[in-house]
Amino acid sequence: MEILVAGGGNVGRQVARTLLAQSHHVIIIESDRSRAATLRDEGFEVVTGNASVATSLEAAGALHADLLVACTERDEENLVISVLAKRHLRIPRVVARINDDDTRWLFNDTWGVDAALSSASALCALIATPTQRA
Amino acid sequence: MHVVVVGCGRSGAALAQRLGAEGDSVSVIDLHADARDRLASNFTGVFIEGDALHQSVLESAQIERADAFVALSSNDSVNIVVARVARDSYHVPHVLGRLHDVQWYPISSHLGLQMVTTVQMTVDRIHRLLRHRRLDPEVVFGNGESLLVRSSLPEYLSGRRVSEFNVEGEIHVVEITRAGHSLLPGSSTTWRKGDFVSFIVAAGALERLHGFLDGRWS
Repeated sequence: MEILVAGGGNVGRQVARTLLAQSHHVIIIESDRSRAATLRDEGFEVVTGNASVATSLEAAGALHADLLVACTERDEENLVISVLAKRHLRIPRVVARINDDDTRWLFNDTWGVDAALSSASALCALIATPTQRA
Repeated sequence: MHVVVVGCGRSGAALAQRLGAEGDSVSVIDLHADARDRLASNFTGVFIEGDALHQSVLESAQIERADAFVALSSNDSVNIVVARVARDSYHVPHVLGRLHDVQWYPISSHLGLQMVTTVQMTVDRIHRLLRHRRLDPEVVFGNGESLLVRSSLPEYLSGRRVSEFNVEGEIHVVEITRAGHSLLPGSSTTWRKGDFVSFIVAAGALERLHGFLDGRWS
């Protein structure tokens, strides 16, 4: 699959690495120049730009992308990126990161979000299910 | 009416203060408690400390009964998100917002949001003032396609017909203030020394009008 990862922080980098290991083609969009340079040094394919702007996503190949992962550290940006990706650029599937659980109510179809996950809720899900012991 | 204002910075506080003074019910939301200090002690509205992306915060500002909603936070993407939520989730009839960066303009207009782009407005206005020193528009129509500008009459035009000055689709003389009285020019009106003139001008013809007033009749 062609996958765009918006936001190259710790989460974005890990998502990209995992997807690359599964043989997907992954491009990271990162607005911070020095962070983008570091990612490039680490071997990632990176487009420097603001992922909330259509031209940046298009430069990263949005018109051919199968999936976009909005995982910046700002929930409002993830929402704007998601709606742009889904409604404007017609990327078929959009997955978003929730940083603050109190903004979860916004992460729905009206913003083009197919699935959203916060690290807090992921941890809670782990606690709720019986943990396996080694 | 009840108005919810997001962001109690310089703009948000000034707007909230003015609406409150005009008798409107106002709730102002800001992330930081010390933003309250920007409101005068006689502010009649409610200040709410909190994140406007949180449902509980919007609802404590009584967004459900709001007649208007204004997104004036310093964060453009927050403004886009809360403005859309106010319009689509809470059906607030009149929603406005502010953008600093024009980069966000395409997505906000794609979402049908009415946003004021402050940096663009400042640059346009300063640019206009630089380029057309005497022609500071009094009124801007539409998206700036037509302007109402006023200027004193250059002496070289005294005695000529006002109607000569009109250029179809570009420049139209609408009013003359003469010796303290205003008049609407007719086909035979002639210019007099000391006239102060109101023009409707197409934005693209400002340079030409400026040329006429500088004595470059072409």
